[in-house]
Formats: sequence, C-alpha cells, structure tokens
Amino acid sequence: MKLLSNMFRFISAGAGILLACSAWAQGLDPAMIAHPTTDTWPTYHGDYSGKRHSKLTQITPENVGQMGLAWAFQTGQTNALKCSPLLVNGVLYITVPDNVWAIDARSGHRLWHYTYPPNKGLHIGHRGVAMYKDWLYFMTPDAHLICLNAKDGTVRWNVVVADSSKGYWTTMSPLVVRNHVMVGVSGDFDNLTGFIRSIDPETGKTQWQFNSTPPPGTPNSTTGGMTWMTGTYDPDLNLIYWGTGNPTPVLTGSTRPGDNLYTCSILALNPDTGKLVWAFQPSPHDTHDWDAVEVPVLVDAEFNGKPRKMLMQTSRNGYFFVLDRTNGKNLISTPFGPVNWAKGVDERGEPIPNPAKEPARDGRLIAPDEGGMTNYRSPSFDPKTGFFVVDAHPSYGIYFAKPEDGAFGWAGADYGVWGKGVLEAIDYRTGKICWTHELGPGGSGAGVLTTDSGLTFTGDGSGNVLAVDTSDGKTLWHAGAGAGMQSSPITYELDGRQYVVTGSGGVLFAWALPASAAKASGGATHGKS
Amino acid sequence: MWIGFLRYRLGVGVLGSAALIASISFGAQQQQQSPKASPSREQSPKEAPPSFPPALVESGHTLFQQNCAFCHGRDATGGETGPDLTRSRVVAQDVGGNKIGDVVRNGRPDKGMPAFSALSPDQISGLVAFIHTQTKQASSRKGGRKGVDVSDLQTGNVEAGKAYFNGAGKCSTCHSPTGDLAGVANRYQGLKLEERMLYPDHVLSDVTVTLPSGQTLSGKLEYHDEFTVGLRDASGWYHSWPVSEVKYSVNAPVEAHAELLGKYTDDDIHNLMAYLQTLR
Repeated sequence: MKLLSNMFRFISAGAGILLACSAWAQGLDPAMIAHPTTDTWPTYHGDYSGKRHSKLTQITPENVGQMGLAWAFQTGQTNALKCSPLLVNGVLYITVPDNVWAIDARSGHRLWHYTYPPNKGLHIGHRGVAMYKDWLYFMTPDAHLICLNAKDGTVRWNVVVADSSKGYWTTMSPLVVRNHVMVGVSGDFDNLTGFIRSIDPETGKTQWQFNSTPPPGTPNSTTGGMTWMTGTYDPDLNLIYWGTGNPTPVLTGSTRPGDNLYTCSILALNPDTGKLVWAFQPSPHDTHDWDAVEVPVLVDAEFNGKPRKMLMQTSRNGYFFVLDRTNGKNLISTPFGPVNWAKGVDERGEPIPNPAKEPARDGRLIAPDEGGMTNYRSPSFDPKTGFFVVDAHPSYGIYFAKPEDGAFGWAGADYGVWGKGVLEAIDYRTGKICWTHELGPGGSGAGVLTTDSGLTFTGDGSGNVLAVDTSDGKTLWHAGAGAGMQSSPITYELDGRQYVVTGSGGVLFAWALPASAAKASGGATHGKS
Repeated sequence: MWIGFLRYRLGVGVLGSAALIASISFGAQQQQQSPKASPSREQSPKEAPPSFPPALVESGHTLFQQNCAFCHGRDATGGETGPDLTRSRVVAQDVGGNKIGDVVRNGRPDKGMPAFSALSPDQISGLVAFIHTQTKQASSRKGGRKGVDVSDLQTGNVEAGKAYFNGAGKCSTCHSPTGDLAGVANRYQGLKLEERMLYPDHVLSDVTVTLPSGQTLSGKLEYHDEFTVGLRDASGWYHSWPVSEVKYSVNAPVEAHAELLGKYTDDDIHNLMAYLQTLR
C-alpha cells in the first residue's frame, strides 16, 4: 500500500511536471524574448533591440541565387500585409486589420483564422500581434486590445484602449516586457492626446499610462504625439524606447507655440512604472507630419574608441540620429538625404526648424515630403559592417496652410511632388552613406532584414523582392512578387532549413534554398544561438 | 501619421514607368480649380442634391471610415495624401454613383488610389450616399475649408518669374511661351498648374533598345525596373527584355524638373507661377 501510494505520488508529480512542460512548450516565456533562438521570431522586431538582424548563415551571398519559393499563403484580403509575422514553436501569426491567422511555418497551411466583428475604425494597416505565454494580443481598428488563445484563436478578453468615436484607431503590435503588454494609439484627424499604456497580460487591466501630450483644450498647448509603432527595450537598463508622432493640429503650428513636447520624440521610460527617464526630440515644433516613430534601434558597439550603449534612428524628417541610450545625449545628427526645413541642429543635437518653411497660404516646397525620408518599416543594423541599412525616400512636397483651415486635425493641405526609393547603408560611426541602391521612382517602402552571412533582404518600388550584398549593395537575387512589399522581412530556421518570409500585397511568401542545397550549406547556428 | 501611401501611389499592376514618378498630384484633378478666385462655396447648386435614406448613409459611413478615411479624412474633406472629396469635380458631376462608383471600383492607379473591386454595388451605393451627404453638409458650413484656391497662388512677381524662366531656371532650354506653353494658363490653373510646373504627370520618356543582333527598336518607355525594360512601339505594341540581354538608352528630359527641386527658393516658385499664369 505504501509502495502504491509512493508510486502514485511519483506519477502525479511526474504528470505535474509534464503538464507544466506542455503548457510552456506551446507558449512563449517572456524571458525568452531577450534571447530568442533562431527558430523563433517572438516579437515584432524579432528581439528587443530592433536591429532586425539574424545570426542565421545557411543562405549566403554565394548560394542565395538558388533561393526559391518554399510556400505562399494567400490572405484573400484587399488589405495588404503590413505586419511583421511572429513565429513561436513552428507557428507563424500574421494580421491585416480585423484578421489574424495562425500558419504552419514549415508548410504555410492555415491552422486557424480569427476575424473581429465589423467596426468603424480606420482599416489602414496592421502591424501584427504580440505573444505572452499561451496568449496573443491583437489591436483593432476601433482601438480595442483583444487577448486570443494562441492554440485556436478564441477570445479570452477584449478591453477598450481608446475611444474610437473621438478619432482614435490602432494598428500596432504591442511590446511585451515581463508581465507588461505595452500598447500605443493612432489618431491624426482630431486633436487628441497620444499615450502609451501598459496592460496586465492576464486580466487586461491597466497598469500605467504615459500621456505624450496634455489634454485637448489646454491653452497654447499641443495635442497629438501618437504612439503607433512598437518600441524597443534594454533589459540591463530596464528602459523601453518609444517614438511619438506629430503634433496636432498637423500643418498649423500657431496655436501650439514652442517645441510641443512630447511629440515627434524618442522617449525612454521605465516599463514597470511608465516614468519618463529621458527624451530626445527629432522634430521640435513639427508642421510637416513627421512622426518620430521609426524604430529606435539599440546597438552596443564602439563609438570613438569607447564601448557605448547606443540608440539609432533614421527619422522620417530626414535625419539619422545616434544617441547614448543611457541618458539620451546626442552623438550624431546628420541628414541621410535632401532636407531643407531646418536651420541646423542645436547643442542637444535636435534640428532647429526654419519658420520660413512652415506651411503657408502660397505654399512651401519641402524636402522630404509628408511620407518622409523613411517611414515605419524597419531598417536593419548589421553588426559586422556597422551599416545601418534603411529604405530611404528622397522627396519633395508642397505644404499649404491658412487661417481658414482652422486649428483642428489636419488644418492645411500638402501634396507630394516627386520622390524615389534608395536603399542606403549608413556607417553608424560617421553617419556617412557608404553605398546606395536605387529602388525606383516613387519609392519602395519595404522594410529591411540583414543576416550574419552578409545578406540584406528588402523590396524595390516595382514589386521585386531583393537580396543584396550587405558589403556593397549589389543585387544577388530577386523575385517579382506582383505587388510592393509593405512589410518588413523576417527569417528563421526549422529542421535545418532557413526561411526568409516576406509579405507583398495580400500574399505571404516563404523563400528558402532547395532542400538539398540547404543540407549542403548547413548553417552555423543549427537553430539555436 | 502615414501608413504606406507610397504603394498606393505606385499601385499594383501598374507599370512603374517614369510617368509614375510624378503620380503625386493625387487629387489635383479632383480639386476645384475655377480660375475665378472665389470658390463656389456661396453658390447653391441649381438643383438640390437628393437626400439619401439615413440607413444607407450610415452603412456608407462605416465603409468610408474603414476604407477611405485615412486618405480622404474622416469627414471626407481630405486626409493624408487624398483630396477633399467635398470639393471634388468627380463628386460634383456624379449622379447616383455613376462617376464615384467607377473611381471606387477601378481606383486611380496613376494617382495612387487603389481599386476597391471587392465592394458590392450596395456597398458602393452606401459610400456614394455618404459622400454626397458630406458634400452637402460641407457646402452649407460656415468658415473656411482646407485646400488650395487659385487666389492663394498669386503672390509672385511676373517679371522675376520671366527672368527665372529664361535665366537661372533654364526653363527656356526646353519650353517656349509661344510654343508648347502657349495658352498653358488656359489649360491648367492654380494648384494643378503649379504641380505640373514642379513635376509633370504622364510624361513618357523615349527609349531606344539595341538587341544582341544589332537591331534597334525605339518607342515610349512603358516599364523600367532594375531587371526589365519595356517599350511601346509606334504601332502600339508592347515589348520587353531583361536589361542584362540588351543595351538601351533612355531620354528623359522631364528629369530636369526633379533636378530643379533642390535649387528653387519658394519665391522662385511663386514668381514662376505668376509668369506662367500670364500665358493665356
């Protein structure tokens, strides 16, 4: 009897362990996000740094010419893919507004499809989901946060993040740090306060909220500072880095004198409290719709001979910034294309806007245009070369504003004049552009991925997916995808085969070497790093 | 805030030729460009536009918020990159969706607007009802409207503009006030004229392709990316080649407009506008 009871105890303990293992085996331990293995892409940026760089080396400059289609997934939706897929335990999660799919990352076949009910939010784009343990976090056009069961896409809870009837909407992929799910909002057509909110992953309750601007109606004050892109995180400093959008009214600055903090800013916040630690403002008193939400890329490397913890951003206003991310002090501020709106930079490294280049009744010719010198799709940092590779958009627009336009929402009008796409490799040590690769008239808008083998993946302005040599920008492989790439590529290795995943139009493409070539090339990391 | 209008500009399935460089004047054609300075705000339409059933307007409102509001604004008076529909010529001429429906279904690839071909006729009727209702409301609204009126673009100096045309701007290298530009101010006004001046739409470049056999073909450059060059010959047929297989040369005088963008002062632009507006 005693033996039996001991045996029973042993078995039940074993079953408990098994149960715990299986629960974790299918979910995502948030601690893993800081050290992701190469068989995962567990967050929007792939890791906390925002470098969008992979250690994978199976696909190389020498063999990339053999790369071909492994599979394609058709969303069947009019809305283009603008998300960065998540990959956890062999399952990809992708989105367009109102839709989430779980897809087998080996075969591309659909596991489940969640659709959110019809709603009046803006369906302009969707950046993807976030994951915590067994749960996915999905933002909706009408500014709700939905917690879904990653197994089957069923709804666990649904909380309101902002009032969409006031003009908010949401598109972004939340950032998970420990037990914080951090979300941001969009809304430029009304004078609204931007904010970052931390939400409890289990209950949906608000943990803290940081408002980037004062409440609407505050005299001589700005609104805006939307927070529509996923931030990055430094676990050692325990700081999240988050870009904020333009002020509102957008093109008219008369009712909001001064710098308009914290619009067009890079913020460093404590993820446990939401307290601001430092801020840097790429565009003080913006009047051109240049959100500073582009990825704040975190790089640890030497600068002027000393090891430094840096933050780099190619900002929509046309400047490349390198900051010391421990304190926000500026190391480099330099344009990466034609810029004609600033009088220079001040002692903090922040550009000084030229009042003569504010929108006016008879028009002002501005470089870059409203879309900016780059936009939200990711750049990539390649540690070996020190190149910050970005899809740049040299461009001009004309900006108009007059008192009759009022001081609400857009409050003016602007029109693009000319632009083109150029892939640029910027040396972070100097801000110098080391090579350029023309991407065509109009522009590309595709994100960038680099790998340790010396490859850069992106798309051009004509619907081609490109693999170029990171050292010189020369094209090594391409494929016509039938539509422009409006998302940022990811890569992973499963069963000894490296995949590069890109989205063009409503189709997700997985590219890989032929199985035999993959086997021959091996791969230094063997799925783990 | 801006989410990906570049792709919208270039459009899917539209050949990314040089003409598309200039597909920026989204909305210019739609904008009212009456040479009379005062827009038609005070003029009431001769016939009152029909009222639409509230349920239909509401269904259109929802679809508009989902699909159209980012570019055209939540109230249809203009948003990021898209024109104010309540001042649109297409909307003004539309009767029961006969004009708006075409634009929604087919898009305006040359202007950057995608096609919404998946919308049903009922859904388009809803959008039409919403847009007309907004237009009616906007025209009865007091106070100013967003957009650019012809009267806004009258701050330049004609003589200074003429001097720039013949001097620093080197416009006279390619253009003549008595030749190609004779009467240009009758053909285009206001913002439309300024946009065409800064970088004209729909200008196809000339291309000559030399095949490995030595044979040459000339025509208009229809398509050109890093890998493919395509031309339309004089008889109207399209041909394309991998760029690695042929030699080709492109003559694109329109690019002089792009080169000038980095050199203009705002005064130069206003003066040039003043001069061009005398060419009637």
